[in-house]
Amino acid sequence: MEECRAIIPTYEGEEHVVAAAHHMVKALMASKNLTGDFKKILVDLDTHLSTMTILNERKGDELSEVELRLKCAEKKIMNRESKQLMIWDSGSKQVLEYLQAVEEVQTLKESLESLSLNGGEKQKRLLRQAESILQIAMVRLEEELLHILRHKKQSFEPEFASFHSCEEVVVYEESIVSVEDDISEDSSRRDSNGDESKEYTIGLINPEVIPHLKSIANVMFASNYDQEFCQAFIGARKDALDEYLGILELEKLSIEDVLRMDWGNLNYEIKKWIRAMKIIIRVYLASEKRLCDHILGDFGSINPICFVETSKVSMLRLLNFGEAVAIGQHLPEKLFSLLNMYEALADLLLHIDALFSEEAGASIRIDFHKLQRELGDAAGATFMEFETAIASYTSTSPFPGGGILHLTRYVMNYIKILTEYSNTLNLLLKDQNGEDPEPLIEAENAQGVPSQVVCPVAHHLRSIASLLESNLESRSKLYKDVSLQHIFLMNNIHYMVQKVKGSELRGFFGDEWIRKHMVKVQQRVTSYERTTWSSVLSLLREDGNSGSSSPWKMILKERCRGFSIAFEEVYKNQTAWFIPDPQLRDNLRILTSQKIIQAYRGFIGRNSENLSDKHIKYSADDLENYVHNLFEGSPKSLNNRRK
Amino acid sequence: MPATEYQGSFLGRISIRRNQIASMDGNHEQDLEDLEIFQKHVADRFSDLLSASDATADASVDPLLSIAWLRKLLDVFLCCEAEFKALVFMGRDPSHIARPPLDRLIPELLERVVKALDVCNAVTHGVESVRHWHKLAEIAVTALEQRPIGEGQVRRAKKALSSLVASMTVEDKESINSKATERAWSFGRRGSKDRIAGQFRSLSWTVSKSWSAAKQIQLMLGNIAAPRGAESTGLASPVFVMSIVLSFVTWTLVAAIPCQERSGLPTHFPIPRQLPWAQSIIGLQDRIGEDWKKKEKKGSAGLLEEMQKMEKLGQSLIEFADSFHFPAEPERVEEVAAQVTELAETCRKMEEGLGPLQQQIREVFHRMVRSRGEMLDILDQAGKVSSPIM
Repeated sequence: MEECRAIIPTYEGEEHVVAAAHHMVKALMASKNLTGDFKKILVDLDTHLSTMTILNERKGDELSEVELRLKCAEKKIMNRESKQLMIWDSGSKQVLEYLQAVEEVQTLKESLESLSLNGGEKQKRLLRQAESILQIAMVRLEEELLHILRHKKQSFEPEFASFHSCEEVVVYEESIVSVEDDISEDSSRRDSNGDESKEYTIGLINPEVIPHLKSIANVMFASNYDQEFCQAFIGARKDALDEYLGILELEKLSIEDVLRMDWGNLNYEIKKWIRAMKIIIRVYLASEKRLCDHILGDFGSINPICFVETSKVSMLRLLNFGEAVAIGQHLPEKLFSLLNMYEALADLLLHIDALFSEEAGASIRIDFHKLQRELGDAAGATFMEFETAIASYTSTSPFPGGGILHLTRYVMNYIKILTEYSNTLNLLLKDQNGEDPEPLIEAENAQGVPSQVVCPVAHHLRSIASLLESNLESRSKLYKDVSLQHIFLMNNIHYMVQKVKGSELRGFFGDEWIRKHMVKVQQRVTSYERTTWSSVLSLLREDGNSGSSSPWKMILKERCRGFSIAFEEVYKNQTAWFIPDPQLRDNLRILTSQKIIQAYRGFIGRNSENLSDKHIKYSADDLENYVHNLFEGSPKSLNNRRK
Repeated sequence: MPATEYQGSFLGRISIRRNQIASMDGNHEQDLEDLEIFQKHVADRFSDLLSASDATADASVDPLLSIAWLRKLLDVFLCCEAEFKALVFMGRDPSHIARPPLDRLIPELLERVVKALDVCNAVTHGVESVRHWHKLAEIAVTALEQRPIGEGQVRRAKKALSSLVASMTVEDKESINSKATERAWSFGRRGSKDRIAGQFRSLSWTVSKSWSAAKQIQLMLGNIAAPRGAESTGLASPVFVMSIVLSFVTWTLVAAIPCQERSGLPTHFPIPRQLPWAQSIIGLQDRIGEDWKKKEKKGSAGLLEEMQKMEKLGQSLIEFADSFHFPAEPERVEEVAAQVTELAETCRKMEEGLGPLQQQIREVFHRMVRSRGEMLDILDQAGKVSSPIM
């Protein structure tokens, strides 16, 4: 071919010109009176022109052959047009035949193009014809492509991608990967991924048809119909992803929807979102990327561009929900959800960076990182506001019975759960506080206090506890009865200590804190004893008087009566009070018994001569039983028992 | 939030001097002067944008509602927004914000911001649709740039352009009648359920079906009222200016770029005509409003200049394709060549502009998120937020 192009003149109708020139040369050569030189030139020219004629004739033959082959391929291609059945549904022989026909047209078109400078009418006509046939074939291939993408798409149950057990997923992945390896020519790909044990992919398209897709891609790209291929491929894969978000039950929500949503529903949506994020990024998109690699891996930068175009809209939708949650109100109950979201994204950062490493995916990568930061900020701010909330959560009426305030329970359980997020929170709080060391603790640390006690979270947890304590202090003032103030504080601080002792909180609060607060509880117990019982006990004191003088008898009788009334009063009040902790309750009863009953028993014993049964309303044993009714939270009365 | 924290973020963009801000607390005269400067800047910036619509002959000016023009609009918004925050919040005691009428006006502005955020998202997705059309137009350009023009290439171009025009119409009709979408999706050459190329589900939106861009704009404009009497010299004024700027920018994006449910988009803004700073905005609003009314009748996908051009050229080239017989008449070929060059030029503008435009819409989005957070913090500090703000 190269040779032809060099020799053949480039203007139209050159066959006639060559023929005319040849004719003239022949005529000149027939003349007798020619010099040797001139003759030689004419002979050379003659040979030249002869070759050209032969070549032109040969080219004519060639074009005829091209025409024949083109007709044959066209027949095969047009034949399919009249049939309803999809080619890839009609068996591999048909597929092969069709692909060969298309490739034939391509080859013919190329060779016609390389002749095109020649400009022969027939050649031009054939080239147009080849292009036309090719276009018909390309439309067909695009339809076949969409058909395969649509009908051979595999959905996977989200359950399979559950993250409760990594083991399970790995096992699942293994089986799929081994299936895929059978059809994939290059098994080295898996080796390169072998180290990333955390990455698992599934087949989004039936593995059987991946070579089909690949062959369609190859032939469409070879015919310069790559744009059509990519648009169809991206469109279909985009739809599949959109559909999958539906399978994951993600609602289509605007930011306003999210901001207006009540907490219960929002919490539910957040849970679904976290799960969807993990599945989409770790499994679905990883698989999508592999699919793109399989099919478009040979076509350079088109591959990552198609992948990004496929995932972009859905990724934006997912990110947008996170954004909406992050800008919502900083309610305390949202903290755990925000932390869960933050941690989920933190786990996915490396995956995102790997999936969208190319320039085309930069904006998704950046937005993802930005969202993670925003969620972190929101979590930090919510945590700070939690502290404010505790301080401002006040009341004007006392909590009935002196039991454990719901705020105490809420705060303690809340911070107990927070310890599970301590690593994340430490990170976030460090950012929020800047340098805010606690010099006191720092000094203690030098003496070998466990390091957990000095982390930012520990500092904040203790500050939350002390905010709670001062809230309790001011609430206790709402009780008119000072004894009940002590009971209330004893109960609540005891509850705090128990929570700290029995959980991870212990490490953050430290033994020193526990010791101090146990002392506080004990102080409240002592204060209670003193406040309630000192005046009662004073009635049983004998002030050194003795004997059986009649005024003394009267005094004794009065005191005995006074004691009974005082006890009844205490009984009436304090049976209504409540100490939920059985040990603490028993402890207090025993102390009371030891103090009161023994004093009473002694008093009765010493004065048995002066006091008849008539004056002794309650026996020591009676009282002992009555003490056991205290702090049960159900008011009782002794007034109508015995006269 | 201490004033110094604002400094790094956007003080560079604004022209109000720092020392003026510091003395602003309670200084009414200074406030008035700053307000005037702010309004003047707003007026200047929008008058630049308006001049684009007048100077149609001047090639150096970006035409109204072109990608380049929209990018300028978004820049203007970012500048106004930064200046607004500096004027109203910077160096001011939070308690000022908690006083009437600001205690009502700022939360109302924040509600508008939330709506604008959703519109930004909708528009971001709209740009994705435009990008898809751009790809289809590129196919047509590739095909029709071949010489000589043969049947194969003409059919190739026609297929791409038909998808383009059909998809534009679907995109637009979708907002009016979702059944049209299903119909358009289900026609295929073989009568199978496969959609014609380029018609995909993902053109559907990412928010619930009931969400309407037009409704959001209506709500944004609904409770805007120009401050009267004494209020007009106080901080109520910049809030009003900002509300108008925000609503106008959002409205323009909705009119220009495909967006979910645009029927009933307002064409009138509640701006008193005599306000000097608002003249350019009113002028632009009138122009775009007129265009929109025409658009609603005609049913095109949006006012984006490049998109309208693409649609027009697409339709004309489809006509050419429909009547094409080889060989085409030389005059016709020349005519088509000119159109293809124009389409290629439009494609180039899209190729260069759509990505940055989308990026900029995200930037506006993130800026509004951040500002909203800052404003909420200030309201929080003022402690006057009795009812939770959304």
